[in-house]
Amino acid sequence: MSVAILTDVTRCIGCLECVAACKKQNHLGLDVPRTWQNNDGLSAQNWTSILQKPGPDGAPTYIRKQCRHCLEPACASACPVGALHKTPEGPVMYDNDKCLGCRYCMMACPYGIPRYDWDQQVPYVRKCIMCYDNVKAGDQPACTKACPKEATIFGTREELLAEAHRRIKANPGLYIDHVWGEHEVGGTSVLYISDISLDFLCYQPNLKTSLPSTTSTAMKSVPFAFVGMGGVMLGLNWIIKRRQKLQGEHTEEEGHQ
Amino acid sequence: MNRVHVVKSILWGLVGLSLAVAISRFAFGLGATTNLTDTTPWGLWIGFDVMAGVALAAGGFVITALFYMMRRKEFHPMVRPAVLTAFLGYVAVVCSLMVDLGLPWNIWHMIVFWNPHSPLFEVGWCVMLYTSVLLLEFSPVPLESTSRYAKIREFLMKFRFPLVLLGIMLSTLHQSSLGSLFLIMPFKLYPLWYTDILPILFFISAVGLGLMMVSFESLVSSWIYGRKPESHLIAKLGKAAVWVLSIFLVVRFVDLAIAGKLGLIFSGTWESLLFIAEIMIMAVIPIILFAIPKTRHSLAGQWIGSFLVVFGAIFNRINVGGLTMLSTTGDSYFPSWMELSISFGIVSFMVLVFLFAIEKFHIWDDRPREAESDPHARPQFSRGGEVWLGAPAVAGRTKYSFAFVIALAIGFMLMPGTKLHSSGVENVPTRAARGGDTLFVDGNRDGYGVAFKHQFHVDTLGHEQSCVRCHHMNLPQDKNSGCFTCHSQMYAAVDAFKHDWHNSPNGANITCSECHMDGENRTAASAKHCDACHTDLIPAGATITIEQYMAPAYTDAMHDLCIGCHREIVAQQPEKQAIALCAACHATAGPEYLRADVRERLKRPEYNHVVLPGVSLEQPE
Repeated sequence: MSVAILTDVTRCIGCLECVAACKKQNHLGLDVPRTWQNNDGLSAQNWTSILQKPGPDGAPTYIRKQCRHCLEPACASACPVGALHKTPEGPVMYDNDKCLGCRYCMMACPYGIPRYDWDQQVPYVRKCIMCYDNVKAGDQPACTKACPKEATIFGTREELLAEAHRRIKANPGLYIDHVWGEHEVGGTSVLYISDISLDFLCYQPNLKTSLPSTTSTAMKSVPFAFVGMGGVMLGLNWIIKRRQKLQGEHTEEEGHQ
Repeated sequence: MNRVHVVKSILWGLVGLSLAVAISRFAFGLGATTNLTDTTPWGLWIGFDVMAGVALAAGGFVITALFYMMRRKEFHPMVRPAVLTAFLGYVAVVCSLMVDLGLPWNIWHMIVFWNPHSPLFEVGWCVMLYTSVLLLEFSPVPLESTSRYAKIREFLMKFRFPLVLLGIMLSTLHQSSLGSLFLIMPFKLYPLWYTDILPILFFISAVGLGLMMVSFESLVSSWIYGRKPESHLIAKLGKAAVWVLSIFLVVRFVDLAIAGKLGLIFSGTWESLLFIAEIMIMAVIPIILFAIPKTRHSLAGQWIGSFLVVFGAIFNRINVGGLTMLSTTGDSYFPSWMELSISFGIVSFMVLVFLFAIEKFHIWDDRPREAESDPHARPQFSRGGEVWLGAPAVAGRTKYSFAFVIALAIGFMLMPGTKLHSSGVENVPTRAARGGDTLFVDGNRDGYGVAFKHQFHVDTLGHEQSCVRCHHMNLPQDKNSGCFTCHSQMYAAVDAFKHDWHNSPNGANITCSECHMDGENRTAASAKHCDACHTDLIPAGATITIEQYMAPAYTDAMHDLCIGCHREIVAQQPEKQAIALCAACHATAGPEYLRADVRERLKRPEYNHVVLPGVSLEQPE
């Protein structure tokens, strides 16, 4: 059983209570907007943000952006020292003490979520951790707790998927018949239902397979490539040595005659 | 000044500059020194230094495979330079990683914490192991200069064959694993470069590049010392490169054809042009040059051909390493001068070590000597230096140290004085009641902000003369100065609505139900609005517009200078109602569409206080 968050974009009023609650819970510092930030409002000090897009009727629609906590996270697969890992409860956690700052996780994330402490001399990777301490204690994350409209709710993934499909079925005119995060990149623990397309959250929205599988073939063939190249080289060396020896004997014989 | 002195002085200068930058990188952090962003977290240091550095070191394993494994004894003169280049290439990679990694002192974590799923884990191990192997492979060369270490040398020589074999095996892994790094980004890398066989392509191109890198390096170092390069061997390497590069081309295009991506080559996007350029430079032109016997044996043909392969392979690694991701991420990136100088500095230092080794050890059969320079430059006191380094090294040293110190000083002078050097502050999101006075400035974009009283600032800072203090006309996009220009403590957390203060007995001392209506959830959304009690907060008739990421203050400032008088006139002469309407000045929306007659009138001297210096009143095209 893994926990998840469901965000219903149609219910969000953009009040930013979740953003403020997140800052308070995770003791995030003050944030000076810098040019190295993307315009999505996420930064090392902002682990969730509210985006504004025009809705179907032109009125503003608010979309909360945060780490998607993929079921098979690309970041955790990419990290050379395993500083990122998927916990059995669901959140993808980051370990300050292991990280060496290569930023491969930031390159590998299909949602472009992890942020970096660019202005720090001792920088770390920063992203939403679904308030792991709360979740482990049986409580819910600060953001879902703070939401006044129940636009973002917390529960088990199965429960929330069923709820998402129930809402879509109950109001087919309002929602687009799609649960974002159900299948994308192998499924995510943060799900969305919406009346506008949320494909812009991902670099490539039609990516169905999980990303760790893309490198697994190459990584599995490493021992074979290693031993294989050694074998080929030794074999070549043996053959050529023998041929040169035979040629040498041959010329020697010719020399005797 | 002879050629050696000029080249070495330039190299020492570049090293000095990069040393200053390296200090500022650790003193101020990556954000202050690089142009990297959250969307482009890998830049020049990975794309060029690491990716291309490893590729350029490929000469080591290619030549040792030719010499030791395939027993092509004629390549003997090239083995030592090739192994040395490979070793220095890997040292350069390690150096640039030390600068690029956020927490380089944790590099040893790679040994303790394992994640075998990660291609970068493989890369890391290959760098560590292969650098050690190369050190052991090369160390007999410096050891042979004195007989003192003969025993150690003999011991190392016993392991020469297995070491070489291990080096080739590790190189195979490492060259290909750099391609595997990008397999996890099918969503980012442009389809012309993304393929499942990226590791194989990287390996084949590394073999081709290795052949040409050895040739190029032989040509360059021979030019510096004015000696004859090994042209007959370079011609042989060129012939081999024709085969390898042809295989590369075939694999590359067959793979594209199978994936059905051939059409993308002619799509006319800048990536497709990049692809065509890369293929031409890296493979097609060199194949033609080296396939023709006449150009293959000519010095010019060898120079051009080997340079094109080396340049094209660097180009390829940079393309895969991030350049072709830019259209997906929508971010633009160009390395800062500090990133460039670190890259150049590391390469320069490795070239200097290479030249030092060539002069001091038996790398070439004919060991070159740096020509004697001005004897007066030789320090008389440095007996030790002459004993250990030899007289020629002391002679050139004055020039090099001069170049080094000057460049170091320049580097320190240009060093960023603030953390914000290469990363300016974005526009502060500001909301305003249009026509109202109180601006709502949300510096940290968390929805809470500072209530900025415009009129108060006008009054305090000197009335009509005060506008230019904040609304600098020379800032791009009519940005106004940030609050921090005067209030350096601006980024203190300020909650516009102080809830605790409102219900505190020492504050407003009001009960919950005065704001939160009975029968409603007690949330911010259902509470009584601020202007229900503070009736003067938003002036009557004003409509609130939320202009995120754009400061509307300038529009307000401009309007106040005109509308104020217009309103006064209307109040006295109600029949002139029309001059207070928007259409009285604007033909259509936007400041650039002022009506032509208004524009002409504003040019008159009595309107000088309305139009600030630098504002153009010419008709926009």
